[in-house]
Amino acid sequence: MAMKKKRYALVLDSRKCINCKACAVACKAENQVPVGNTRNWINEARQGEYPKLRIDFEPEQCHHCEHPSCARVCPTGATWMRKDGVVLVNYDDCIGCRYCMVACPYDARYFHEESGTVHKCTLCSHRVDKGDLPACVETCPSKVRVFGDLEDPASRVHELLATRRYRVKEPQTGNGPQLYYLL
Amino acid sequence: MHEFNWGLLIVVYLFLGGLSAGLFFAAGLANYLEIDGQPAYPRVAAMGALLAPWPVAIGSALLILDLGNWYRFYKLFTHFRWESPMSIGSYLLTFFTGIAFVYAYAWLPEAWRQQLFAKIPATWKQAHRLNVDLSPHRKLIAMVGFPFSIGVGIYTGVLLGAVSARPFWNTNLVAQMFLFSALSSGAAALLLAMVLDKRSPIQTHETQFLITLDIVFIVLELFIILPYIIHGQLSVLAVKQALWLILGGPYTVVFWVFFLGLGLLVPLGIEVSELAPSLLKGKVFHGDRKLALVASSLVLMGGFLLRYIFVYAGQVSSFHKMGMLH
Repeated sequence: MAMKKKRYALVLDSRKCINCKACAVACKAENQVPVGNTRNWINEARQGEYPKLRIDFEPEQCHHCEHPSCARVCPTGATWMRKDGVVLVNYDDCIGCRYCMVACPYDARYFHEESGTVHKCTLCSHRVDKGDLPACVETCPSKVRVFGDLEDPASRVHELLATRRYRVKEPQTGNGPQLYYLL
Repeated sequence: MHEFNWGLLIVVYLFLGGLSAGLFFAAGLANYLEIDGQPAYPRVAAMGALLAPWPVAIGSALLILDLGNWYRFYKLFTHFRWESPMSIGSYLLTFFTGIAFVYAYAWLPEAWRQQLFAKIPATWKQAHRLNVDLSPHRKLIAMVGFPFSIGVGIYTGVLLGAVSARPFWNTNLVAQMFLFSALSSGAAALLLAMVLDKRSPIQTHETQFLITLDIVFIVLELFIILPYIIHGQLSVLAVKQALWLILGGPYTVVFWVFFLGLGLLVPLGIEVSELAPSLLKGKVFHGDRKLALVASSLVLMGGFLLRYIFVYAGQVSSFHKMGMLH
């Protein structure tokens, strides 16, 4: 049987998010993210005044874009996209020019001082390749995060995107972001 | 607070790279101009040629030092990525620097060249084979260098303009703006250097040539900056919000007062008032030394500030954080 094409994506039901930040902690532990940097985070949007108010939480990280501007501007090709859509940095080729950080519309990258290279969310590709879930997805207590293969019609992400309304952030940049936020 | 990934070293590099491009262009142009079959501005051409390679050489060194892993800079040349302005730029920069040094060598006075080679041990025979007079080939080298100098001048703008995530940069006008700013900085630097050179005082026709050149480039730059602001105001919300950075935001004073006022309009005013009587009324051009000094220094300051404003303000501008700034 021929290998099927894969396209990994993350579907986020951000209304379920309680801002516990377990995803950020799990990511830091899994990927040894230095203090002061973060690969994923939670945006807060406040609205109104007490007692009429609401607050929205929205987890965010690298969008693993379909047309990643970071990979386009990289002068050495250190930032690249796998066939399954995961955007990665080859640390051996990264010269630390930070052009990708300037070019990312989501500010999803950080400069790793110790190695002098740029790091970002890898969608835990080391775990995914073994058949595990990304650390943030596995740990989320309120089940905000759904990870899966968009090309697989039997997957939960496929089902959610087929049956629910969703949005992506800043589609006007043309990057084709692959974090889908359910409405 | 938004952090700046590119800082002052990048600003200085963008300025120095443009400065070299401008110096080379002005010097090369001076080399081609003749009056009655005689070179019209040989001293301008010589001064520009000898100065041109240094700023870009220093700037490139700064650029390498700014890298997270400076010793990995060679990887820029083991890859070629046509989609990345930085990749194209690093090749352009290398070729340009090389040509600028060759051109400077072609303009090196005979005595200096002999002095230089006298310091190299006579046993290094291969090195002494380089002791050749390139002066007959000056025009050819200048012609080869022109496209590269313009390329370097434009590329510094394309580097920023190609970033679709930063609405402040992402217009088709930034490249031209940086090019004309680079060319005017080059003409101004040449004027400044010749005014400061006390051993051979600048002659009025040389001042006139450089001032004319500078006026042309400053006017062209103005014709880019005004549409940049007007068109930005008429553009989509993200661009409009990005322009707020210089229209009421934190970079307003430095843009309008120090860059546009002191760095562009004041020197333009000085230069036009110097040139206009000879141009319009047929009077003899005098070329006041002090005014030339002030005007050229201000142009250089303006060129630096343009890069400063663009590098910093551009990084603040974005599609999703701008709302928070208001």
